[in-house]
Amino acid sequence: MRVRAFFSRFVAFLRSRQMDRNIDDEIASHLAEATDDYLQQGLSPEEARQAARRSFGGVTQTKEIHRQVRSFMWLDDLRRDLRYAVRTLWRSPGFTIVAVLTLALGIGANTAMFSIVNGVILRPLPYPKPEQLMHLNTQEPAIGLVRFPLSPPEYLEFRKINRSFAAVGAYQIGEANITAADRALRVRAAFVDDYLLQALGVQPVQGRLFSLGETDISGPTAPGQPAPPPAPVVILSHDLWQATFGGQPMVGQMVEVTGRRREVIGIMPPGADVLDNRTQIWMPLGLNPTNPGDRRSHNLYLIGRLKDGVTAQAAQTELIALIQDWGERVGVQDHVFATVKPDGGAEAVNFDAGHILQMKPLHDEIVGDAGRSIWLLQAAVVLVLLIGCANLANLLLARAARRRREFAVRAALGASRGRLLRQSVVEGVMLSIAGGAFGVVLAYGGVQSLIHLYPTSLPRTSEVTLDPLVLLFTLGVSTVTGAVFGLAPVMHTRGSGLMIGLREGGPKGGTGSASDHTRRGLVVAEVALAVILVFGAGLLLRTVYNLTNVDAGFNRSRLVTFFVPLPFVNFREPAARVQIYQRLLDTLRAVPGVQKVTAMSGLPPTRPAHNNNTDIESYIAPPGGPFELVDYEQFVMPDYFETMGIPIVQGRSFRATDAVSSGMVLIVNETFVNTFLKGRNPIGQRVRPCCGDRMPWFTVVGVAKDVKQGGVHQKTGTELYFFAARAANLPPPRGSITPGAMNVVLRTTLPAAALSSTIERAVREMDRSVPVVRLRDMEGVFAESIQRPRLLAQLVGGFAGLALLLAAVGTYGVLSYLMAERRREIGIRMALGAARASVLAMMMKQGAQLTMIGLVVGLAGALALNRLLASLLFGVRPTDPATIGVVVGTIAAVAAVACGLPAFRASQLDANVVLRDE
Amino acid sequence: MTPDKSDVLYGTLGLMVIKTLEALGPLHGYRIARRIEQISGNQLVLNQGTLYPALLKLEQMGLISSKWGTSETGRRVRIYALTRAGGKQLHKEEAQWQRAANIVERFLKISEDPS
Repeated sequence: MRVRAFFSRFVAFLRSRQMDRNIDDEIASHLAEATDDYLQQGLSPEEARQAARRSFGGVTQTKEIHRQVRSFMWLDDLRRDLRYAVRTLWRSPGFTIVAVLTLALGIGANTAMFSIVNGVILRPLPYPKPEQLMHLNTQEPAIGLVRFPLSPPEYLEFRKINRSFAAVGAYQIGEANITAADRALRVRAAFVDDYLLQALGVQPVQGRLFSLGETDISGPTAPGQPAPPPAPVVILSHDLWQATFGGQPMVGQMVEVTGRRREVIGIMPPGADVLDNRTQIWMPLGLNPTNPGDRRSHNLYLIGRLKDGVTAQAAQTELIALIQDWGERVGVQDHVFATVKPDGGAEAVNFDAGHILQMKPLHDEIVGDAGRSIWLLQAAVVLVLLIGCANLANLLLARAARRRREFAVRAALGASRGRLLRQSVVEGVMLSIAGGAFGVVLAYGGVQSLIHLYPTSLPRTSEVTLDPLVLLFTLGVSTVTGAVFGLAPVMHTRGSGLMIGLREGGPKGGTGSASDHTRRGLVVAEVALAVILVFGAGLLLRTVYNLTNVDAGFNRSRLVTFFVPLPFVNFREPAARVQIYQRLLDTLRAVPGVQKVTAMSGLPPTRPAHNNNTDIESYIAPPGGPFELVDYEQFVMPDYFETMGIPIVQGRSFRATDAVSSGMVLIVNETFVNTFLKGRNPIGQRVRPCCGDRMPWFTVVGVAKDVKQGGVHQKTGTELYFFAARAANLPPPRGSITPGAMNVVLRTTLPAAALSSTIERAVREMDRSVPVVRLRDMEGVFAESIQRPRLLAQLVGGFAGLALLLAAVGTYGVLSYLMAERRREIGIRMALGAARASVLAMMMKQGAQLTMIGLVVGLAGALALNRLLASLLFGVRPTDPATIGVVVGTIAAVAAVACGLPAFRASQLDANVVLRDE
Repeated sequence: MTPDKSDVLYGTLGLMVIKTLEALGPLHGYRIARRIEQISGNQLVLNQGTLYPALLKLEQMGLISSKWGTSETGRRVRIYALTRAGGKQLHKEEAQWQRAANIVERFLKISEDPS
């Protein structure tokens, strides 16, 4: 019965017009019948009509009740409220445009940020049962490494002894050269074993994945001999297949990858990746299970899939138990794991026994540090939206004051307070939904261009879209926003307010002190919120400034650099590789406009660490470290220090004769001296680099100024410089480590673009399969290394600017309003002889008070919140007094303008005019 | 505009309407109104207009149905008829009213009797 009534009501709502016509007709025929009856009783036609009407009762009331019964009252009312709201808003286009724009910015920014929160943080990874995927690595507290790989023996042992995982696989990430359509390309590669693909649970869209054992190499490797390569098979990512090979059938085709022809066996599904590598090509890991090598040689990360029904917690517990007696379980004594402390860290013993295995959900590992920045931005845009809301509440309040008479009349005519409230909320929600609609467009454009401009600044950018959840979020935010600022203006027209409005009769109505308090409160809130944002932005901008001005240890201007990855297979001999580079450098040196040219293995200021065990003859590590471990090794071609502009602070640079002299020499950095050779003369000290007794001792001949290696924000690590031409002649395995890939650096007055064709030609002459990678100037290298903090600062800065603008507009609006209220008072004061200056001061004081309160509240809030920011800052503390000073100055200046304009206008009032008006 | 009070009225009015339709068969609104007035011996002052919302409600509940038709005077009128559900509902409510009336009657007798 109830369902039926609901249904018929709903039909009636949809066919409202026809239902109206029906009841009209029915009433008309009723009256006609009744009139006939009365006529028969002998009444005159006029009397009969009146009698019929009398016995019927109120026609309009009947229709009204009929309408209520027939359909949903609220729905009908809503329709009327909407129509009314559209008319009202249409009549005041200025207000509507300002309101919709404010909301579009506020809601748009929120939508944009939420689409990032959603895509990066909330959305599950694109694998089956993604919550079962865990990422494993090690932690080496003794040498300050929180994310360190495992060694192959450790991996194989874990795979064998764990009971929690259905599959555990290993990977490395790197790059590879490929040749497509006779063009050499550098692509991002993942080197994986078949277990890893099994753990991820991916299925190829074409072809097959690596089969069992296909990724391994077998047979005992003779010491000193290069390992036999794994099977020449590769899997292409969906992206690479589409973008580079045009989606042509590729399975079974041969492709030249890193100097060798390899068969494409399959195509990965879109979205398959290890961590956030944006992998383009998948290659066999090449692990030797029977002879996995040195357990000190850490080079693998693991991804595991938990068995069905095993929780992450249970796996974690098992992991800790395994670590405790790992040595006994697997039968090793050396380089086993340390005891896990209750906080999950390890006891910092020495390098060989100080590390632990640790586990994290894969999703957390991927999001990593970006999560904090993303939430920070989301918080920032919520603040912007709140300020926007406060502004609109103010605007509606002012309008409500003007519409007071309208409300009073409607209340007197029987509109309930609830109806008026609803009307106001409907207006608010309509505005914010319009704003939200524009906001979605802004958000879409904004996010797309952001991803386009900064593709690597965030993980999982391919997942950032405006999906239904995001749109639902926007709709929710819009509705709540509209309801909040729509309610504000009606809240203070309580009870008697309506009566006063009617009695006073003016369009403006009385000035209840309650509404003034609301207004002032809103100004204070706006200023406070703006202060929080501006302060945050100030700290982040200082951070970027500090990062930009870090002394990286070399002269970065007028440097052009590019990367030349020579494939090992084609250039097996270290000495041959060095010769090839030397020829390339000679060619480039001859180019007009190039002053100096050199090449080295690692490109500052951001490159991977080596953390190699190193013997230092005169140093014995104390129990707590520092241990004999060198963070970075750099293989350099001639003129390295001269080209880069790195000062040699002691001793000498490399000489051409060092390449052929019998003695081995190296150069160390200042940090090396300060860490291991404090108080001693470093020149002449002897160092034996990794690994083993067959390595010769090197003599330190110079000390170079510190150069940043792990990023400009990191402490400089210890570093050894080898002369590549000499290191190439070392006995294996070190000789073969002489890099097959080097970065070329040119000191030149020409921009990178101008050199590009010359460089391309020179490299192609060297080898057709070798691409020129990442050709750019050194400033670009630096800019990229601080991309994320810069982006964060720019976004928060933008939001802070927006907040400041909105707060200024809000303050200006309220003060203008307050001034208009006090027009008469000011007129009288001036007539009684008050100077313009004192009127100006009086009005300014009013604004200054509000701003001051807002400033104090905001600073208190900012200082409380900025602790959350601390990990994102560099070279500036969250309580930095200078930043506080700048924030206070900025807010004061903006407030002075926002308050000054209305105050100035007040002081320019003509007393005669004002008083005559009244 | 006090729907709560009207609801009570609709209740009784509804019963009168369906009883009328059961007794006389399909009728249009004016005839239903006149009939109720006549039966009550013109003691019930019916605002005839209130009949229409009551009819609508009964129809929504599925107790009566309606369609356009022609009156004896040849006018286009909406004719209401009792449905099967309406007939059942009528018997239920008749019994209920009877019971309620008996209780009230007995109650009033006791109150009148001082002993």
